[in-house]
Amino acid sequence: MNTFLSRLNSLFAMTMTVLAGLTFCCFLSTVHHTHHSIAKLDTPSVLVRQAPDYMIGHEINDLGHMTLNIDADLNHLFNWNVKQLFVYITAHYKTEKNAFNQVVLWDKIIRRGESARLQYSRVNPKYYFWDDGFGLRGNPNVTLALQYNVIPNSGRLLNIYAEGRHVVSMPENYIKGRA
Amino acid sequence: MYSLINALKSRLPPSHMDFEGQRCAETAFQWVLGIFATIGFACGYAYQQFSLTVYILGIGFAIAALLTLPPWPMYRRNPLKWQPVRVNNSTDENDVSVGAKSSRKDK
Repeated sequence: MNTFLSRLNSLFAMTMTVLAGLTFCCFLSTVHHTHHSIAKLDTPSVLVRQAPDYMIGHEINDLGHMTLNIDADLNHLFNWNVKQLFVYITAHYKTEKNAFNQVVLWDKIIRRGESARLQYSRVNPKYYFWDDGFGLRGNPNVTLALQYNVIPNSGRLLNIYAEGRHVVSMPENYIKGRA
Repeated sequence: MYSLINALKSRLPPSHMDFEGQRCAETAFQWVLGIFATIGFACGYAYQQFSLTVYILGIGFAIAALLTLPPWPMYRRNPLKWQPVRVNNSTDENDVSVGAKSSRKDK
């Protein structure tokens, strides 16, 4: 502590340690939050067709297409320890070929400060709904679920399911050409 | 390289402090940072913005730096009391050893 640089070193080291402590206290102040929310999902139109998936060769697979209605309010999930929410909708179903399938249909990044009121009507999915094989036609139980990652400033990265799932029964017949 | 750095360092003004001054400076910046950290945490929690906490701590760092980094005169109030310079006719080495022995005998 006799020279300028040695005092600067001590002061800076203490500042960084205090900052680390404050960040930990920020985490402690939000550790009890439950991140619960309710979502209403709906699928106004559901179609299934067969198509060759050129991304993986020339195999023919089932391709589903369902427009989405999304209604959820996630504003209450934000606090000073949340940087952003990564929200996505997945379809879960079972086929003869595969016991568990999960396909992401739509996602969105909501940063702190942006509106987290999701109100979408008849929106097209962002990603293709390919199946591995022919398990979508007539599948009675395809469940749509809204999930979100709560990305914190400090703490655990959480993956939470919103309450409210929507079960879709896929049509029995393929459509051909453009719908 | 070493001689170049030393030459540059000797051109700067001295930044030493007394031991008592160093203790004061360390206590001072610890208190300043602690107070601003508490204020920062409270304000950040109230407005739910962690950036506010970091900025307030940054202000605390600046104030503590201003208060303790330059060698203010208040940190030089207790200089070390060196022994006065002794001027003797005989050689130094014998005198030093005699002085040491006599101080031990006094105790």
